[in-house]
Amino acid sequence: MSIELLTLLFFGSLLFFLLLGLPLAFVLGGVSVVFLYFTWGFDSFFMVASQIWGTMGSFTLVAIPLFVFMAMVLERTGVAKDLYRMMHLWFGGIRGGLALGTLAICAVFAAMVGISGAAVVAMGTIALPSMLERGYDRKMALGVINTGGGWGILIPPSILMILYALITGVSVGQMFAAGIMPGVLLMVLTAIYVLVRAHLQPHLAPALPKEERGTWGEKFRALRAVLLPIGVVVMVLGSIIGGITTPTEAAAMGVLGALISAAVYRQFKWSIMQEAAIRTFKLTGMIMWILFAAHAFSAAYQSMGAQDLIEGLMQGIPGGAWGIIIAMMVIVFFLAMVLDPVGIMLITLPVFMPIVKSLGFDPVWFGILFVINMEIGYMTPPFGFNLFYLKGVVPPGITMKDIYTSVIPFVLIEIVAIGIIMAFPEIATWLPGVFF
Amino acid sequence: PASAQETVTWKVQSHWPGSSSSYTDSLGRLKRVIEERTDGRLKLQLFEAGALFKAKDTFDAVSRGILEMGTISPSYAQDKMTLAGIASGLPFAFRHVWEAAYFHQNMGFEQMLRDEAAKYGVYWATDKVYPTEMVVKKPIKSWDDFTSLKIRSSGALQTFLTEAGAAASYIPGSELYSALDSGIVDGAHWGAAQGAYSMGLYEVAKYHVKPALNIAGTDVIIVSQKALDKLPEDMQKIVKQALDEQFWVRTNEYQYKERVTLAKAIAEQGVQINTLPDDVQAKLVKTAQGMWDEEGKRSEEAKKALGMLKEFLGNLGYL
Amino acid sequence: MGVLSAFMKGITRLNDFVGRWIALLVFVMFAFLLLEVGFRYLFNSPTVWTNELTQLLFGVYAVMSGGYIMAHRGHVNVDLIHSHLAPRKRAFLDIITSVVFFIFTLALLWFGIDMARDSMSSWETSFSAWNPPIWPVKLAIPVGTGLLVLQGLVKLLEDIAIAFNLDYYRPSEQAEEEEEYL
Ligand code: NA
Ligand code: NA
Repeated sequence: MSIELLTLLFFGSLLFFLLLGLPLAFVLGGVSVVFLYFTWGFDSFFMVASQIWGTMGSFTLVAIPLFVFMAMVLERTGVAKDLYRMMHLWFGGIRGGLALGTLAICAVFAAMVGISGAAVVAMGTIALPSMLERGYDRKMALGVINTGGGWGILIPPSILMILYALITGVSVGQMFAAGIMPGVLLMVLTAIYVLVRAHLQPHLAPALPKEERGTWGEKFRALRAVLLPIGVVVMVLGSIIGGITTPTEAAAMGVLGALISAAVYRQFKWSIMQEAAIRTFKLTGMIMWILFAAHAFSAAYQSMGAQDLIEGLMQGIPGGAWGIIIAMMVIVFFLAMVLDPVGIMLITLPVFMPIVKSLGFDPVWFGILFVINMEIGYMTPPFGFNLFYLKGVVPPGITMKDIYTSVIPFVLIEIVAIGIIMAFPEIATWLPGVFF
Repeated sequence: PASAQETVTWKVQSHWPGSSSSYTDSLGRLKRVIEERTDGRLKLQLFEAGALFKAKDTFDAVSRGILEMGTISPSYAQDKMTLAGIASGLPFAFRHVWEAAYFHQNMGFEQMLRDEAAKYGVYWATDKVYPTEMVVKKPIKSWDDFTSLKIRSSGALQTFLTEAGAAASYIPGSELYSALDSGIVDGAHWGAAQGAYSMGLYEVAKYHVKPALNIAGTDVIIVSQKALDKLPEDMQKIVKQALDEQFWVRTNEYQYKERVTLAKAIAEQGVQINTLPDDVQAKLVKTAQGMWDEEGKRSEEAKKALGMLKEFLGNLGYL
Repeated sequence: MGVLSAFMKGITRLNDFVGRWIALLVFVMFAFLLLEVGFRYLFNSPTVWTNELTQLLFGVYAVMSGGYIMAHRGHVNVDLIHSHLAPRKRAFLDIITSVVFFIFTLALLWFGIDMARDSMSSWETSFSAWNPPIWPVKLAIPVGTGLLVLQGLVKLLEDIAIAFNLDYYRPSEQAEEEEEYL
């Protein structure tokens, strides 16, 4: 069977069973096993077990339960709530003020984590209830968390960039430096969108009524609420930048910070810790089983000859150099709807890189486009992982349809960002030039 | 065996990422040579590190015949191969690459490895012998400089460096660059010059330490015996011959590229060579020799190989 | 109480029990990572074992979560069609799609057992500088998958009961129990 036909069947059955309501992890795993059986035989199932063993042994993933636990503790002890109250008192007068505050926290989170998943779950826990309580439209709130929660792979540190560097041979340091300005660009674009939308449709992100905005005294007293979260951030970022911990170990510093905050709030209780631990277990396990199956899935797809498909697609693309780059972006966009980033990189980069280099483009610049595209992939239906991670933490009333439709404007914003960086490559290439 | 005209495709799982020079130089060469000599009847389908199987499962997958071919480091097969510890390099044993090559091919160590792997249905062919060398952020000028180092290491060398008095810790490859950059560790080894260059380590650590921590057959090509037996006889011969040549071609080529890469790093990134002072070297050799005997305890074969090695080093005047 | 409902309750209790204990590993992982940072940064003497042990514990933590999460409906799905269906129709649909669930989990169970047996035949160790046994972690793959399979079986039995109006299972009790936990 040709790889084109296999691809259609493979992704088609994935979509079919997903729509029928089987959990994502089992759809990915089950479809992989069936296709492996027909293309490679029974013995190849060993690959599924091997991929799971490999995923269990990925040290960087240890950061997930720790960051999630940190968020759970901050939420349960009331630290997060006070933080939002403070933001509401100060910025509540502005339409969309809380959404902007959430985006700012997302940006800080992105600088603390190098992987995706942890931030979305954490922000979904901390920010979503606070925004909904204050009358925010659910799609606005979900979309903001979805997009902001994905920034972690663009703003250094980023495990995905390290992987890109490893596969393509560009410098990790240059990739990290190159991600900073595009990250800022994304934040600015998203903030502008939120402000404009909230201005035009106040009911989406309502301002706090004048009489509830509080006195200056209240505002300044509320400021105390930022001290602890800032302390946590300083502990995490400080230990990464100061060369005390690796990004993964820094997650433990985050937990330490959260525990200290709990003690300051006199909430350092076993019942709270235990509950936080159990919710962390549930969310981490959900993420991990999706990753187990996703890795098996992309291994199965690669064994079927995915790379031949990409090679075939790259032949006969019209439109010169830019046509080829855009075609690559479109391919990655579609693959990112169904595959995990590691798989996408392994399948496409060996084919893309020689072409990118021979056309005279900067591989670092291309890497930034690629990573933003991955971010989009994390939040595009039907399979975007962040959508599922978020679904794992939302209150029962919120459906997958809400989450799916919430991302549309934010996906468009990121596509605009890619367009801008294509038109002005200096946004990505200027900083690495300064540093190296 | 398959008929003489049939086309066979082998799945080949690499333990190198695509940017590694060995991916193209070793696997690329092997693919080209084999496909040419069999007139396209045997095709190799290459997969980058981790694509199908994780590095540590590749030996198992080849042993089970799920994969026809793969590349590994001997240390990934340690639970099965008692000779793996010696194959992946005893610290401060050989002093030149030719010595390790001679020991493998002319003293019969390669055959011993092949015999042990055969028990698991695997045909073992060392890809090349080459050095493992450290890069550090500050030059090592004294024993104190060495013992105050925090070094990113792994496996047997981690034990060795710790034993010798440095603070060696394992940090996964994906966090190595950041760790070295921010000063969590002051040194690391990732292959030698080419490895360090490909990981961007010279950007953040400017001293390349000589001599090598070890010189060994750290890259191996493994073939499923079952897959090999299925080939017509002429093709089996072609594969084995290509693998035999591979060792010499790659060992030599790798040496050349090491030097070129180091020269480039020196010229472009201001890297300096840091030769360990004699007293530091002497102390390291002494620690190393104390550790060799451990490897001999794993099996009769290991004991024999270690005896052979010691005799060989003795004849060279190193012991 | 029939054999079936006893089996279903028993499996759910078992997964609950296992889950509640394994969940506490997050404290252990936290403590070990912190310990390593302390040893390395304050005393300049990194340990050989903390990061590796954390890694191994994380593997167990992750793979043992499947059944517990299944019991608490925590494996996320797409509810576009689900949310528009009556409970009986939904149960029918879930019975059909459970085939894909069992294909995946049984394949994983089979080769997980294979992998664990292979590892235990040599009491496999990691051959790192610390060199701890890793067979217990490999053993966790079939054990964790087995728990997931059993909980999947419970879910299937529930769906059959709902779809065919059988009386060995009533969904309401289960829902109340759920409330207590979260
Ligand atoms: Na980040
Ligand atoms: Na996606």
